[in-house]
Amino acid sequence: MEKLFGIPMNQLMVALLIIFGVGIAVMALIALRNRVLLKMAVRNIPRRRTQTILVVLGLMMASLLFSASFSTGDTLTHSIRLEALAEIGEVDVIVQTEGQDVSNQDFDPTQDFSEKPSYFAQTYFETVRERLSSVPEVEGVAPLISEVAPVLAPTTRLSEPQIDILGYAQEWMDGFDRLVDSEGNTLSVSGLTAGQVYVSSEISQKLEVGSGDTIMVFLGPLPTDLEVVGVYEKGANPAGKLSLVMPLSDLQTLTGTEGMIDSIIITNKGDVLQGSRHTDVVLSSLAPLMEGNDLEAVPVKRDAIDVANEAGSIFSTIFLIFGQFSIAAGILLIFLIFVMLAAERKRELGIARAVGMQRNHVVRLFAFEGAVYSLIAAAVGALLGVAVAWIMVRIIGIAFGQMDLNLTFALNWRSVIIAYTLGMAITFAVVLISSWRVSRLNIVRAIRDIPEPSISSKTMKGLLLAVMVPVLGLMLTVVGVQGDQMTAFLLGVSLVIIGLPLLARRFGLPDRAVFTLAGLGLVVLWLLPTDVRSSILPDAQEGMELFFLSGIMIILGAVWTVIYNSDLLLAAIVRVFGRIRGLPPVLKTAVSYPMKNRFRTGMTLAMFSLVVFTIMVISFFSHSMSIMFEDTERLSGGFHIRANTSYANPIADIQTAIDETDDLVLNDFQTIGSFAGARVKVNQEGTDQKLSDFYIQGVNTDYTDNVTYDFAMMAQGYDSPRQVWQALQDESGAVVVSSMLVPVEGNLGVDPDAFRLEGFRLTDGTMPEIYIQVYDPITENEQRLRVIGVLDQSAFYTGGGMITSQENVNTLRSQVVLPQSYMFWLKDSLDAEATAKALESHFLENGMQTEVMADEIRQNASATGMMFNLFQGFMGLGLVVGVAALGVIAARSVVERRQQIGVLRALGFQKSMVQLSFLLESSFIALLGIVLGIALGSGLSYNLIAEMSSGGFEGMTYQVPWLNIVVVAIIAYGASLLTTYLPARQASKVYPAKALRYE
Amino acid sequence: MEEAIIKATGVHKTYDTGKLTVNALKGVDLSIQRGEMVAVMGPSGCGKTTLLNVLSGIDDVTQGQVVIDNSFIDQMPDKACTRYRAEKMGFVFQAYNLLPVLSAVENVELSLLVVGVKPGDARRQAQEALALVGLAGEEHKRPMEMSGGQQQRVAIARALVNNPAIVWADEPTGNLDSETSVEVMDLLRRLNKEKLQTFVIVTHDIAVGRRGDRIIRMADGGIVEDLYLGDG
Repeated sequence: MEKLFGIPMNQLMVALLIIFGVGIAVMALIALRNRVLLKMAVRNIPRRRTQTILVVLGLMMASLLFSASFSTGDTLTHSIRLEALAEIGEVDVIVQTEGQDVSNQDFDPTQDFSEKPSYFAQTYFETVRERLSSVPEVEGVAPLISEVAPVLAPTTRLSEPQIDILGYAQEWMDGFDRLVDSEGNTLSVSGLTAGQVYVSSEISQKLEVGSGDTIMVFLGPLPTDLEVVGVYEKGANPAGKLSLVMPLSDLQTLTGTEGMIDSIIITNKGDVLQGSRHTDVVLSSLAPLMEGNDLEAVPVKRDAIDVANEAGSIFSTIFLIFGQFSIAAGILLIFLIFVMLAAERKRELGIARAVGMQRNHVVRLFAFEGAVYSLIAAAVGALLGVAVAWIMVRIIGIAFGQMDLNLTFALNWRSVIIAYTLGMAITFAVVLISSWRVSRLNIVRAIRDIPEPSISSKTMKGLLLAVMVPVLGLMLTVVGVQGDQMTAFLLGVSLVIIGLPLLARRFGLPDRAVFTLAGLGLVVLWLLPTDVRSSILPDAQEGMELFFLSGIMIILGAVWTVIYNSDLLLAAIVRVFGRIRGLPPVLKTAVSYPMKNRFRTGMTLAMFSLVVFTIMVISFFSHSMSIMFEDTERLSGGFHIRANTSYANPIADIQTAIDETDDLVLNDFQTIGSFAGARVKVNQEGTDQKLSDFYIQGVNTDYTDNVTYDFAMMAQGYDSPRQVWQALQDESGAVVVSSMLVPVEGNLGVDPDAFRLEGFRLTDGTMPEIYIQVYDPITENEQRLRVIGVLDQSAFYTGGGMITSQENVNTLRSQVVLPQSYMFWLKDSLDAEATAKALESHFLENGMQTEVMADEIRQNASATGMMFNLFQGFMGLGLVVGVAALGVIAARSVVERRQQIGVLRALGFQKSMVQLSFLLESSFIALLGIVLGIALGSGLSYNLIAEMSSGGFEGMTYQVPWLNIVVVAIIAYGASLLTTYLPARQASKVYPAKALRYE
Repeated sequence: MEEAIIKATGVHKTYDTGKLTVNALKGVDLSIQRGEMVAVMGPSGCGKTTLLNVLSGIDDVTQGQVVIDNSFIDQMPDKACTRYRAEKMGFVFQAYNLLPVLSAVENVELSLLVVGVKPGDARRQAQEALALVGLAGEEHKRPMEMSGGQQQRVAIARALVNNPAIVWADEPTGNLDSETSVEVMDLLRRLNKEKLQTFVIVTHDIAVGRRGDRIIRMADGGIVEDLYLGDG
């Protein structure tokens, strides 16, 4: 992971280390000059060990979440890099014909399109080599042919549909990877005679062939026999695991391309990773050669590293976006902890102030203590975060298992340092604010333990606040409206809502009424459906931050409402449960305390509900997705089997070919859709977009006549999906595009270089007239295609790009382009799995690979479900915050109410009643938090799912995940009970005589 | 007043902190008759409060016997002892010790709710008790909204609302001014006479002691004088 929210990690680390270093130095200097305060602060820490543990637990949350997010991102970056570099090896740059690098296109991962590489004269290699001979950063330049073809072992009858076939010129391979066999011997291609090859150990295993065996390669309709003379473990680059290598000249002969090559590979000095640092030098040296030759130099190594970094970064960002809620809850906890620590020491602080300690001394005292806590907690959090990441990586590994990505856990100390310093910085900043608040105590009130009066709205400060907040809100609202910024607009309106009760108070309006209205106002405002919001500000931009702010504001409003009406709520509880024998006295004390301490109760309630809220949002999403995945027919467009064939040996006519087989009956197939791809260059008409390389797909009428995919948007003049599909065949120059090509709000992980349409968004009600210019670099033909529909996001099998008619593709290429991909719609009587196997077996020579679409969708569903569970688990970490808060409050309450417990015991409260009273008190907050979290999470999820559904995920419907809700509620409540059990037990053991002696 | 409701025999109480052993009570023998109002007096640290605690069962005895109303309270398990306290005893403390989160009436009714009185009945009785101590109309005030004297009246109402056999009062006027002290003692004495309840009052104040039937003087963990005053 190289960047966090766009900031380079190295720079971030340096900046944080400087802040950290300066902070520590300043604290150390102050400590040296105030040794007594330092001593007092340090000695306070072990006074109550259980409380200290809870404090550390709460304070470590920020570091833990940072560390876990970063380490997960690092692992993904590292693993994807390893996978990519394993296929690239020492190759840093590849020179090839223009238009072959479509790596920026967001392909549907289930599709595998490839096209025969374009060849160019080998003499270019000499030119390139000569050019680079004066570049000291370059270590090697070599000509290469890289083809993909099916391979069959006649003796074992085993086959592989698509393997990489490399043609090497050994004399130029110095500096590149060496082919190494299992015993470490180097295999040289120059030792091979015509018809001899080396194969990779994976090929050897899969086809069960070894030295001396013959394999058949289908580089065209007729197979070529090749003799295996060696098996290599590694070194064939650039290629996948299934590869074979032969001399360049042999491959030229086999493909009929004598004197031609399709690539020039370049390796830079330095090891596999470091070599890419010289990429710019190489590219700039090659630039003059590329112009006018239809060649391009592709920085494959750097691109692969960038992709890996981007993937890691996306994962970290997603975890951080969701982790923000837990971090916010953690910040509330830190604040609460310090306010409570101050309350506990109120009397001694009052005495200290009375004997001459300045207010700033109190700040320092708490800051020292907070600094020690933060130093320890951030370290524990950062290290625990690594452990959490390790577990998450294991789960992601299982989810990604189906995608053939092996995850290797990577610990990057830079990330741990950033997590530590960032967590420490946040924690300490909150500690400082809390310390400042704590220092503002009244000496007499502190010594006599008299509660601080609430801030009067009648003071000048109160008046100023009451006026400033709504005024600031109004200003922000105007900024939002004028600048089309939804976040500023909503925040502005929220400030007005928050400020109005402060003003209303001054006019003597009752607190309950005005604060309840304000709280409800916030909830309603932030739960407004997107279309309502959009109708207020139609052109407003909405970013990912809105999700976070929605959560915070909804919770704030709800907690506000509940706290200002808690007496009614509690009265109702007492009325309902007060009838249970033995419960009234316990219930009376249990509900009275949280009501008395509104600040504490509100803070804890906010923490608990915030965490449950985020878990619920994920849960609703996960449930909706799983329901969407259940509808396999919708996702597959009605088809049952998909198949890809090799470009080296495509099938001329699939229907005839099936008819000619012995055991496949053409009549058993309802219909067969076909996809013929062509590599082209595209841009949107009327924009200043550069031409981007792109695969365009041409489909046959069997596909358009039968496919059931829906559209997220349709051009004017079309009323139904069927009309659009029909028009794709009937109207020349029509194209439908994937929703991936259309911008949406807060596009995460979208490659800025990738081709995207402009001028509208997926959530817009209507679609403007959009035309795409298509240029075929081979034939130099051009086409102007009208976008008549944007496919629904659940249209999984559409190639991730543009679909037009087969005829259009033929016209572009000035020839009939044979399809490479097929969709089979089976009649009910046919078994999909058996048919898929039969198809593969019959069309082995064509390299056919099949997938039963329902199975594939289910596998995807399982992987997606696992990822959502992981997110939910990650969010669950935040529960630690809520639970710790309850623990801190309960532990503190035992100390605070020791004497009162003594009185209760003297009055006749049994031990069990005291314990139950404490447990009920925590339960009240926990259950209320759970209910609020579930209710508000359900509300926001409704909006988000409705938004996604109207934004192209038509299959997504709002369904309540009852089981998940029950499980989350039980876990959250169970954990809260466990945490408060110990303090409750302690309370029950308070010895009345001793407690009363506290007088 | 011939029946002993409280009888202590050879009561010892030792506090052992590990480093320090304090003999708070050294073989106290004591007998208090039903309906008596007894003041326990003596210098600080003489064991007055400790005696009150062990007699009332909120602290255990190290050695000796405590019999309350024919029940061996020192041998009762905690649960039974707590139940016994709830039903038969009332407490008044120097610092009032009202629960700050409850209103006056809620503080008083708590004693009734603990012994299983129905909430409606408990509320009615609590209001009557508050009226008895002169706090009618002040039922819904929180302790912080009341004066020291008023708070102690609430505490007395709480102690008496169950109609207990014994009321233990530990420095009931310790936090009050002299005028209020007199009012509170008048109240206690009146209730003692009207309800024939036994009052054991720990106090430093000789004026308070003189309002009772008997003064027990303590020093160094033992009783040094037992003085009967007749009607106070």
